[in-house]
Amino acid sequence: MNKKMFSVLMSTVMAAGLAVSAYAAPADSESVKKAADEGWEIAVVPKDSTNPWFVRMKTGVDQFASETGVDCYQVDTGTIDAVAQAQQVKDLIAQGVDAICVVPVDIESMDSALKEAKDAGIVVIAHEGASLENVDYDIEAFSNEGYGAFIMQNLAEAMGEEGVYTTMVASLTNGSHNEWADAGVAYQKEHYPNMTLLEEMPRVESNDNGDDAYNKAKELIKAYPDLKGIMGTSSFDAPGVARAIQELGLTDQFFTSGTGMPADNAELLKSGVVKSLTLWDPAIAGEAMVDLACKVLAGEAIEAPVNLDVDGYTEMNWREGSETVLEGQGWITIDAENVDSFGF
Amino acid sequence: MAQSLLKAEHVKISFGSVHALRDVSLEIAPGEIHCLAGENGCGKSTIIKIISGVYQRDGGTIEFDGKKLDRITPIDSINMGIQVIYQDFSLFPNLTVAENLALNTEVASGKKLVSWKNVRKIAEDAVSKINFDVDLDARVSTLTVAQKQMVAISRALMFNARLIIMDEPTTALTRKEVDALFEIILKLKAQGIAILFISHKLNEVFEISDRFTIFRNGEMVATGLTSELDDRKFTYYMTGREFADQTFVPAKLSKEPVFELKDASLDGAFENINLALRGGEILGITGLLDSGRTQLGLSMFGIMQLTSGKILRNGKEVSITNPRDAIANKIGYVPEDRLSEGLFLQRSIGDNIIISEIDKLTNGIRYDLKKRDAEIARWVKELEIKTNNPENPATTLSGGNQQRIVLAKWLACDLDVLILNGPTVGVDIGSKHDIHAILQKLAGSGLGVIIISDDLPEIIQNCSRIVVIREGKLVAEYDTQNVTEQMILDSMM
Amino acid sequence: MRGRIKKLFRSNEPYIFLIIIVLGIVIQIRSGQFFTGNNIVDLLSALIVPGLFAIGEFLALIAGGIDVSFPALASLSAYATTKFLLDREYGGNVLLAFVIAIAIGAVLGAVNGLFIGYLNLNAMIVTLGTSSIFKGIMQGTLRANQLAVIPAGMKSFGITPFISAYNAKNGLTSVLPFTFLILVAVCALMFFILRYTIFGRGIYAIGGNPISAHAAGFHVKRTKFIMYIMIGMIASASGICRVCMMQQCHPTNMLGMEMNIIAGVVLGGVALTGGAGTLTGCMLGTFLIIMVQNSMILLGIPTTWSSVFVGAVIVIGVAISAYQANHQGVGSHQHKSNAKKEAVS
Repeated sequence: MNKKMFSVLMSTVMAAGLAVSAYAAPADSESVKKAADEGWEIAVVPKDSTNPWFVRMKTGVDQFASETGVDCYQVDTGTIDAVAQAQQVKDLIAQGVDAICVVPVDIESMDSALKEAKDAGIVVIAHEGASLENVDYDIEAFSNEGYGAFIMQNLAEAMGEEGVYTTMVASLTNGSHNEWADAGVAYQKEHYPNMTLLEEMPRVESNDNGDDAYNKAKELIKAYPDLKGIMGTSSFDAPGVARAIQELGLTDQFFTSGTGMPADNAELLKSGVVKSLTLWDPAIAGEAMVDLACKVLAGEAIEAPVNLDVDGYTEMNWREGSETVLEGQGWITIDAENVDSFGF
Repeated sequence: MAQSLLKAEHVKISFGSVHALRDVSLEIAPGEIHCLAGENGCGKSTIIKIISGVYQRDGGTIEFDGKKLDRITPIDSINMGIQVIYQDFSLFPNLTVAENLALNTEVASGKKLVSWKNVRKIAEDAVSKINFDVDLDARVSTLTVAQKQMVAISRALMFNARLIIMDEPTTALTRKEVDALFEIILKLKAQGIAILFISHKLNEVFEISDRFTIFRNGEMVATGLTSELDDRKFTYYMTGREFADQTFVPAKLSKEPVFELKDASLDGAFENINLALRGGEILGITGLLDSGRTQLGLSMFGIMQLTSGKILRNGKEVSITNPRDAIANKIGYVPEDRLSEGLFLQRSIGDNIIISEIDKLTNGIRYDLKKRDAEIARWVKELEIKTNNPENPATTLSGGNQQRIVLAKWLACDLDVLILNGPTVGVDIGSKHDIHAILQKLAGSGLGVIIISDDLPEIIQNCSRIVVIREGKLVAEYDTQNVTEQMILDSMM
Repeated sequence: MRGRIKKLFRSNEPYIFLIIIVLGIVIQIRSGQFFTGNNIVDLLSALIVPGLFAIGEFLALIAGGIDVSFPALASLSAYATTKFLLDREYGGNVLLAFVIAIAIGAVLGAVNGLFIGYLNLNAMIVTLGTSSIFKGIMQGTLRANQLAVIPAGMKSFGITPFISAYNAKNGLTSVLPFTFLILVAVCALMFFILRYTIFGRGIYAIGGNPISAHAAGFHVKRTKFIMYIMIGMIASASGICRVCMMQQCHPTNMLGMEMNIIAGVVLGGVALTGGAGTLTGCMLGTFLIIMVQNSMILLGIPTTWSSVFVGAVIVIGVAISAYQANHQGVGSHQHKSNAKKEAVS
């Protein structure tokens, strides 16, 4: 892919994402109506139902059920346990559900359980399990390129689209973090001519440790007085950098962005040290999985762009080279205003 | 004899079915230097542990200072004035001299805090008792063995000692250090402190002690005045055997030398050494520790490489740059530290014997176990190795028997030349005689033997010729039939 | 006087100190940012948690043992304490957090002490085992998650400046929180205990020669037991410091620190074989590691190289001390052979 093509693609993706499809209501979907009428049973199997992330997913699934009348629910899995999760899938097969939506703990053990499900004629939808083989489809909230560009948008907005920045990843060997960072840098080059990447130190490592992120940020700030922002990726990066900003008295002069959980960062966002963080919403991912299950059960042809009737998942495209993995634009911005509305 | 300080009679102790002490008695007078001797395993250490309260006896009586003692605890023993200085000195190598000296007192005082002023005072008092000049702030690990021993003695004296037991105190000391130690022992004697001196070194027993007691196999075999003891009796009491001490006379010498060194030099160790060894001869090489004698031995075996000069075997020049070459040329070497260099201590006795000839023990392709067992049996018998099972690990043997395995290992290779460095260091007296007899027998069968040693009686008795190395040069050669220790000593210095 | 200086240079501390100074000068030349108030404050602040851990490890090593369980121990007690206080909506002084955590740490340390001291098991194996157990309790039984909010008392304690250093040149203000005083206090207390109490000298004695220590009247088992309790208490205090300073409690944040801590302590001249080493050396070695870890960017070296640099510093430092040890060894050897020469004459 050359640079121009990339940027064109990027812009389209961004445009689609920002447009946040004006109209998204699963209840109006033909296949969903059919699913409700037929009484198809759709079970969602999370990694760990006690984890706030998946508690949030459950609210999405429950909302889908109450709005549409589809018989869908999230299974109570208890603590994270790959073997127990595979057993749960087998129990669901025995129960005779029509579709299983799963967020796998362990790809290998889950794959064999899902094979049994498919053999039994059950529709299988996965989320964050792109390498699973025995699935009808896997949906990912976004492509790495799209998400990286989205983080950059947030950083650029905070920095006023100007100044020197650098990128922070957990480690240089971490796949998705580096793809996000690369995409973020590419997006900046295309859209923010007044911003520049710190050439001497274009990428630092935080080792997925908030304390490391904090110390690295302090050092960067000392060593490079022109530096104005750090694009974080890992969920430890932005909170760590924020601590440095706070301590050094650089609020509103130095900025950071990156992935972050709402509850963990509520205070930082409200205090204004960090303007916004990025994330994807598990509740919406849950709804999207159920919606896709309905479509497959109803026998609808799945052709890109797929519209799953929920925000951020209205223009799902195939991951390059894949026929089962669909990627959306399901990123969200968390800021001082909406941070308390997620419940996790 | 006046009132005894310590009187132990008919003491018995057994551990399980092993009777460590069957019936021993030991009587020490106040201010006496008493030597307790015996071969390894005779019960010397056991009686010390009974006296110091570590073990409780099964029978017999013990009196100290006229009082009968039913049961002795370690604390009783210390309170009565008994102090034991073990071979390892029981010091703290990481602490200073001062602290080593004062720690016991400080702990015993029951205080919670350390007063460094007090520590120093205690230490100064302690060393002044034996006029021991040492840096009290030095760490004990930086001291020499002799200094460590002095620290241990000073510490023992702090407890108003009346009997100091020293377990083989001279083992790691140089001659001069031994003299210094003996001087202190005599000084203690003058203060009325009795010394129980444990040793198996003949000359020391004669030199220092007033009276002696000898144990063998858990029984007391002799006690009396040292002045009434002689060499032959001492050896007999220790081993229960009579040894005919003969100076070695070669039976038949080969006409031509089997092994020669021509102008052999090793930078920094020795230079221009010329030597010739005939088959059937035992050649002694002696010199001070740093004379280069050890490097010479190592060079003959290829562990060190000559910087110049030649090695000849049967008149022909051979290249020996590593032990493999030496073995191929039928040269064997028994190192000084047989434990670290000569034996695989955890492996079986049998494996140790056949290790050097392992190549030969095949029937073409496969390792021949029958051949192996036969070979092992042959050497165990030939060298009188005391074991009931050659598959036991080598660690189970005594020092003398371990030394015999090392010998067996080499002899199994069918050698022409055998070099031994300090062959009887740390070996008890009976085994020493046995090893000497074996060496003489081997030479009698035509083997050329070189003994590197500074044990002058040993080389005078066992060699036909002696060469002396001083500062890397060969300075003298003697025929053992007409040489004295003094003559050799003179050329060593 | 000359003897004293000679003796000083026979130990590790002056060399480590020299390395620190030289490295500081290099960083100063490269970045102009080393010898500034706020950078020093930054380093000291980064030293607090590892420094406390190092003191605990130092004790274990001196007594001839080792402890690899302290990160797990600290994580568990700090998490349990924070969670407990949050659940009770405790808003008071930070003191209570320390008291609870230290109490938990004492209990966990006692587990180590029981096995290592009274049952005389190998310290490495025991602490590897307890480390797993502590992690298991935290992640399994307590289902530990990140706690984004911590009690108010802990929060303010973690950021209230004890010293704040303003750098006029770049307008930065670095803050040294009050937790630093805990490091200083523990350091002083340990110095006193090790130097002036029979218990402390017992730790050295046990590390030097446990059999003789027993013979000298020390309660070897009890001393070890109490010592591991103390290590647990120090580690837990460190855990609370980390939570306060990070303003959140992250249960896995400290795991994996043990190797660099042990490296720092050994670098400072503390022998793995027990008995030898000083608290000063321990702190200098730890500081050197912290300094290297936190100066990569100032030196303009990509952060990926950090572990290579830390590794290099450890190897060089340990090589220096090994060289010295050998040097001394050769010296005494010579002395011995001379003695022998005199002996025969």
